[in-house]
Amino acid sequence: MSAATPSHRQPAVVAEPAAAGGVGGAVLLVATRIVLWMGVQLLLAGLLVLAGAAAAGESLDEAAAWWMVYGALVDLGTLGVIVWLIRRERISYRSLLGPPAAAWQVALGVVGVLVATAPAVFFSAEVNKAYYGDATPPMLAVVDAPTVASAFSVLVVPLLAELAEPVAYLGVVLPRLERRIGRPWLAATIVVLLWAAEHAFYPLLITDGNLDLAFAVYRVVSVLPFLATWTALYYAFGRRLLPIMGARWIFNGGTALAVALSLVE
Amino acid sequence: MDSRILYRVTYLAAAMSLGHHIDHAIRHNAVGWPLTDEVNAFTMSLVIYPIIITGLLLYRAGRVGPGFWALVSGGGAAFVSAVHFGPSAVEPPEMMLDGYDSPVLGWLAFTWLAVFVTVLAITSLYETRVWWQQRQVRRADRPATGAGIER
Repeated sequence: MSAATPSHRQPAVVAEPAAAGGVGGAVLLVATRIVLWMGVQLLLAGLLVLAGAAAAGESLDEAAAWWMVYGALVDLGTLGVIVWLIRRERISYRSLLGPPAAAWQVALGVVGVLVATAPAVFFSAEVNKAYYGDATPPMLAVVDAPTVASAFSVLVVPLLAELAEPVAYLGVVLPRLERRIGRPWLAATIVVLLWAAEHAFYPLLITDGNLDLAFAVYRVVSVLPFLATWTALYYAFGRRLLPIMGARWIFNGGTALAVALSLVE
Repeated sequence: MDSRILYRVTYLAAAMSLGHHIDHAIRHNAVGWPLTDEVNAFTMSLVIYPIIITGLLLYRAGRVGPGFWALVSGGGAAFVSAVHFGPSAVEPPEMMLDGYDSPVLGWLAFTWLAVFVTVLAITSLYETRVWWQQRQVRRADRPATGAGIER
């Protein structure tokens, strides 16, 4: 081996996307998530009607009470598609998370993500006030599940969400769009918009006999600053996903815990 | 590559800072000298422009690196957050949202502020990472000295 030959023992830490597939996989992943969100809600609403637990007009609202629990099915479906894609492309799940980093660097990164997300929190709080005043936003107010299901929504769902959601959008969809479009900023903008748009599909609420479209718009607007911040941080950290996943787990797990303990009134 | 990105994010942050100061001037609330006689947070915040210009000159001359910019960006994010979002905020979001006759302009100004602070925070984290990486490279390149040297 000559001096110029790169060592095979030391992989180059290059901030390049790992996924090798085409944009078809990205479309499949986003479509899977949206179809699963809608399918699971409609299925649960149908079951509630069949069981006589809810009237037809109220069944979607009743199903929405469980959205923090059945979100696990959507994330499991997402993980299934991710596993299928990475097996087909012969890459590892770890490679989707970006270059390696020491545990202390990841921990420091998590703190950085939490701090950098503060403006999004303040912005979102003002959006909440503009839409709902001092009332609890509907997606938190509607949650009403038994203790065991609440515990599941705190302990399991946020973990599954982090293994699936940011990996899908930032680890799989974004690199493929970057390669197809050739402009990272445009690909990132599309990913943020798609990611935000997905939130319009859960939970589906009914107001005055119709789908509450104002709530769907609120969902998209309120999550947009978070998703834009995390996508920008993904680049700032050299395409490392673990700090973002860690911070999101704290956010989402904390929210689920606050709802489960009825701290959100 | 890092240097080019660093210049770009510095120009972006400077442009967003200028936009925020213009917003203050148009709303004419929470402003100080030179627009009024009072010296306050607005006046102090103007010091960022000489810092940026001096920093750019020193960076070009190789006298300061990403660590300097991480401190400037992080300090800026902390200052602007404390003034606008902190518990003792002198200009809370309501002052911006209600600062214009048109609610759309108020939301535009508030959105600009949120993006500005986010840009500063993310820029600071990016610059910290670049600073750390450069430090690691310098350490690795440094020749061994001291006990290992044989006469």
